[in-house]
Amino acid sequence: MIVFDYTLKVVIAGCSILGLVSGTLGAFAVLRKQSLLGDAIAHAALPGICLGFLVTLQKSPVWIIAGAILVGWIGTLLVMTIVNNTTLKQDAALGIILSVFFGFGLVLLTLIQRLPNASQSGLESFLFGSAATMLIQDVWIMAVLGCCVLVLVALFWKEFKALSFDPSFAQSLGLPIKKLDVFLTSLTVIAIVIGLQTVGVVLMSALIIAPAAAARQWTDRLGVMVFVSSIFGASAGIVGALISAKYAHIPTGPTIVLTISTIVFVSLLFAPNRGMLWNAIQKSVSRQNIREKTMLTNLLLFSESATDPFHPHDLAALTAIGRGPARKAMAALKEKGLVVNPQADEWALTQDGLNEAKRIQKELEESTHAS
Amino acid sequence: MNQDIKYAVQVKDLTLAYQEKPVLWDIDINIPEGVLMAIVGPNGAGKTTLIKSILGLLKPAAGKVEIFGKPLSKVRKRVGYVPQRSSVDWDFPTTALDVVIMGMYGLLGWFRRPGKREKNEAMKALEKVGMADFYDRQINQLSGGQQQRVFLARALVQQSDIYFMDEPFVGVDATTEKAIVNILKELRKQGKTVVVVHHDLQTLKEYFDWAFLINVRQIALGPVEEVMTDENLKLAYGGRTAFLGNTT
Repeated sequence: MIVFDYTLKVVIAGCSILGLVSGTLGAFAVLRKQSLLGDAIAHAALPGICLGFLVTLQKSPVWIIAGAILVGWIGTLLVMTIVNNTTLKQDAALGIILSVFFGFGLVLLTLIQRLPNASQSGLESFLFGSAATMLIQDVWIMAVLGCCVLVLVALFWKEFKALSFDPSFAQSLGLPIKKLDVFLTSLTVIAIVIGLQTVGVVLMSALIIAPAAAARQWTDRLGVMVFVSSIFGASAGIVGALISAKYAHIPTGPTIVLTISTIVFVSLLFAPNRGMLWNAIQKSVSRQNIREKTMLTNLLLFSESATDPFHPHDLAALTAIGRGPARKAMAALKEKGLVVNPQADEWALTQDGLNEAKRIQKELEESTHAS
Repeated sequence: MNQDIKYAVQVKDLTLAYQEKPVLWDIDINIPEGVLMAIVGPNGAGKTTLIKSILGLLKPAAGKVEIFGKPLSKVRKRVGYVPQRSSVDWDFPTTALDVVIMGMYGLLGWFRRPGKREKNEAMKALEKVGMADFYDRQINQLSGGQQQRVFLARALVQQSDIYFMDEPFVGVDATTEKAIVNILKELRKQGKTVVVVHHDLQTLKEYFDWAFLINVRQIALGPVEEVMTDENLKLAYGGRTAFLGNTT
């Protein structure tokens, strides 16, 4: 059983905040094709966490978060500077910054563990995340930062939307696109840092990418997508926290990531319009429709050479000039009253069938003329 | 220089290069107000780069641009832009109407959200381009021609005095091409200046009254018949001798 004690309530509050904020900012990151930037920021924040610890030699949340934001932000600016001023592409710039900063972070982490009071530092939990170590003061900092980020996104909504959809046009309108870019990315840094303690630097990028990718499957509106993404993020945070609260030895980060991955998987498969299952059904429906249309027009073609448009024809002959399998299509057409089969494998148009076949033929002619 | 002619765009000694390789070399042109002008030239001639530098989207290595006699920052609100259709991701989660409303983001200013007035204006623009029925469509469900018309509507709501359009006829159907040409001519009738990057030399005379022929360096600027001489066309397209050769 899960006991909903004070500690667990604190953890749930924290996890829902981190999911909400990373889901919101992740929607913009994914739409701007910056999914991997989240990964670089999260890894780049590790030395910041260590430096924040070294300031007080205690696990003071204010210093650690400040350090993570500052160093994560410097890493992001370096990525932007490299992309803008060298011939390196973004993937290479991200790779360089991620590995250099993360490597530096690991060195600092090792050094800290050699310090006298290292055993209490618990900094290594920042690698894979640990909800259990979350205190009410951590949650307060997350809540304040999260609120600031969400309010700013709401205030600059239309600017961020224009930046994400068509930056050059936005720039031609006079919007300071470079500043907005740095601004939105900085908010993403904060969103990531909020989740580092719980989810960990290694897996945090999943909480930026996954809720947004799942949400995109269900809607065609930016506002709805951002909302759904934040709800998905928060749900994954809560479910992950509950599971890892029940089984103490399971780290929180991977649990949250597995939860959100399940949501992504279901969304990719079953979402209407964009889901794989939906697409497969649509495809098979349209294939069947085309088969039916082909059979009808074939019958029309045959009847034009005969004097009687309702004369029955052999299925083999009809299939020879069209696309098979024909029998299923014929059965469907019969159901609709468009064809009859007076005897086995002999098929003929009905009056309705004749009209429909003529309509299809006309439609085909028009569409070929238009193009 | 004739003092009576008012210029919509004045470009002085504009040069732009990507890593030493010149894309625009010493462009020095004046575009009179009220013309419907095509920018023509082979691939890689710098047509898109030219309008992007006029719009301040690219930083030139040297040179100066003035629009209506003033620096761009003073006249932004009088300038409309239709980027290449392929420059954005049409899978972005938004509707045709929403894209058109974006044209008014500059006029709205910070923190103000588009309201009823903006929606009405956007609907009017969609009607003008024959897309009113599609206002609520997700933009990836539109055909190429329809997407282009949405882009045009987004520029129309800007109510600008000069428009820059980048290849609006690429990949569109005949109906859309006609619709766009009609709108271009109507804009000119209203006294607006329209500058269009254009590919098709055959339709040039029919659609435009001015042309600017370019291949990294400027070749000719003026009324279409005067610009499109055999000699000029050879300079722009033939032999690839215009400048440095490899302008693919």
